[in-house]
Amino acid sequence: MISSFILTHKLQYAYAKSKEHRALDNVDLEINPDEFLLVCGASGSGKSTLCRTFNGLIPHFYEGKLQGQVFVAGESTTGQSVAGLSEKVGMVFQNAQAQLFNRTVELELAFSLESLGIPRAEIKNRIAETAEMMGIVEFLPRNPHELSTGEQQLISIVAVLATNPQIIVLDEPYANLDHVNVRKVRAALNMIHKQQKGVVVCEHRLPFTVSDVQRMVGLQRGTIVLNGAPEKVLQRDIEQFGLETPLSACIGRRLRLPNLPLDVPTLKKNAPAISYPVDLKPSLLHSAPSDSSFVLEVENVSFKSDDTKILQDISFALRQGECLAVVGANGAGKTTLLKHLNGLLRPSYGQIRVMGHDTSKFKVSDLARHVGIAFQNPDNQFFKLSVWEEIRVGARVLGRYDEPWLQELVELFGLKALLNRSPYQLSGGEKKRVAFAAALACKPKILALDEPTAGQDLNFRRALGEVLAHLREMRQAIFLVTHDLSFAEQQAHRWLLLSKGQIIADGPPWEVMADASAMAQTNLEPTDAFLLYGNP
Amino acid sequence: MLDPRTKLLLSIYYAVLIIASGHFGWLAMEWGLLLLFVIIIGEAKTYLRWLRMLMPMALFFGAVMWWSVGKDAAVVASLKLLALTSAFFAFFITTAPEDLGNSMVTMGMPYAVAFVMSTALQFVPVLSRKAKNVLDAQRARGIPLEPGWSSLRHYPAFLGPLLIQAFQLAEELAEAMEARGFGRPNRTFLKDYKLRPMDWMAIIVGFLILVTCIGLQ
Repeated sequence: MISSFILTHKLQYAYAKSKEHRALDNVDLEINPDEFLLVCGASGSGKSTLCRTFNGLIPHFYEGKLQGQVFVAGESTTGQSVAGLSEKVGMVFQNAQAQLFNRTVELELAFSLESLGIPRAEIKNRIAETAEMMGIVEFLPRNPHELSTGEQQLISIVAVLATNPQIIVLDEPYANLDHVNVRKVRAALNMIHKQQKGVVVCEHRLPFTVSDVQRMVGLQRGTIVLNGAPEKVLQRDIEQFGLETPLSACIGRRLRLPNLPLDVPTLKKNAPAISYPVDLKPSLLHSAPSDSSFVLEVENVSFKSDDTKILQDISFALRQGECLAVVGANGAGKTTLLKHLNGLLRPSYGQIRVMGHDTSKFKVSDLARHVGIAFQNPDNQFFKLSVWEEIRVGARVLGRYDEPWLQELVELFGLKALLNRSPYQLSGGEKKRVAFAAALACKPKILALDEPTAGQDLNFRRALGEVLAHLREMRQAIFLVTHDLSFAEQQAHRWLLLSKGQIIADGPPWEVMADASAMAQTNLEPTDAFLLYGNP
Repeated sequence: MLDPRTKLLLSIYYAVLIIASGHFGWLAMEWGLLLLFVIIIGEAKTYLRWLRMLMPMALFFGAVMWWSVGKDAAVVASLKLLALTSAFFAFFITTAPEDLGNSMVTMGMPYAVAFVMSTALQFVPVLSRKAKNVLDAQRARGIPLEPGWSSLRHYPAFLGPLLIQAFQLAEELAEAMEARGFGRPNRTFLKDYKLRPMDWMAIIVGFLILVTCIGLQ
């Protein structure tokens, strides 16, 4: 008899801060020792909380009320220490930066082993073995904080593997990664699974994960609402739970294919492109306005920092009413380009004109009237006690206070119920909405959003899409910076494809993706929609 | 290689020697030896960069001394300052912070103290990056946080988000440490910290040289 490695029985949990709200409610779940499992659900559905019960952080580290039981390897977690459990269940957190705290990758791998009091020779062996297996030997002497985001994510996984846990649990491992890095991490997880180990991935972006896993469990408000093999579960309507069915599965379902295809290659193998229903093809924007005036002109801009060229000979222009997306892998120079729009960075060479003004002649605070930027992390800007104060502070400082407009923004971003709350108490998606509203508060001609969808679920992406559509109707110029191609293909008139600081393609989304050599240079993968409908 | 504790002790010997020296010739030789050492271990470039940062302070210090006690004393004092800081530069460049901390743990220092010593340095760049991001985000919406007195009024906009994020980071770090067994008794270390015969010899020979040099002067 194969017994389950992790077992929860009538599990209920409420955080100390919100006693009446149950983060987990009556969860009965069994996880086998060598299972590849996806735990999915919209933001706030209880995924992260459930993860934290597997390695004992709940109840040992978090205060709160736990009812029911969690068994790991046959023993209740209440009777085991978190450190002891780390030999059975390894946990990789969402923020790689906070879990890498040693000076070298080697010491990072050693840390858990040292805590367990393992003899020196054994630690050395284990590090060598794990590093060899995961192909990271070259990283051992390097400082984890000098690695790229994708490499950091990989190292935090390997560091957890060093204690040789039977199951490894990952909390939203793909949230901050581009396609290249997602591919690397997926390959690593598949390899771990091949070693007869269990892998539990908590994620709400299904297209990245469903084809890897054996089973998926869906949560809604702390309760299990879906449980089974992806081929079975995806037959159901999962959008009601805030989850997005991968396009290939949607098409497969409509075509009533006997085995539901979970990714593009499988679908293409099983059904000819001609049979794909036209109404499932996502609608793209019509061509960009070509008669309106320019709000932004960038001419031959290069930027150097410490003798490293970060941007090279960038030229483009943005018209009123146009939505332009700058797409590219992590580290391509997207955010550097964004910071040039309002003078946070000045070009080493070339010229940028915002509303006809040369940015090199104006202060950032002057340019801020014309360019509203919302950076990726909204926590960087919150300092007022209420959401309402937070939204209007920028407009006040800039002397552009317009109460009716602010009310309109509150309406547009659905913030009415949140106005008196502290911005820090909001969920990740709510914070982003406040930051977007704040960026628009002084009626800038250009709205610039930096990775607006990173880590956000389907509901958020839909709502943001609607807001952007409304803004486009109002003739707002929008500058999107993103590696979320499926969002950018539906929201932008035009893409600038950025690779190593250079523009290597410029045009409507599907024309850019059709340029196979340019796409290969950036290491980005075309969207599922393009692969299925774009190549006749 | 020597144990980190030996290295610390040798640096202290050297510092004592420098403090005890009063002649220009001796000080120049002591500093010269340090320079030679830094060049031999291949850290000349780092040293020069660090020296450039220190130079203004040494010059200012020398100028004050010149004005108050005269030229000779000023030269000696500035040289002393340079040699003394260089001795500790040589120590820190050859010793990783966690090595110093962990070797002290084997002598009875609590591990938590050693951990703070080595980890604090790790998070300096992380926090300075965060500070930069906060500045950018606030300036982008028109809050004038350019350097200078006029922006002092707006400092809550900078310090608020930075402090709150530092606390968030600390919380996440604590959780990750807990999950990896921080604070469990009977910790072992990847590296072996032991005073070998080499270390004892260095400690004794170093001490004899120190006494001789001070005696000669």
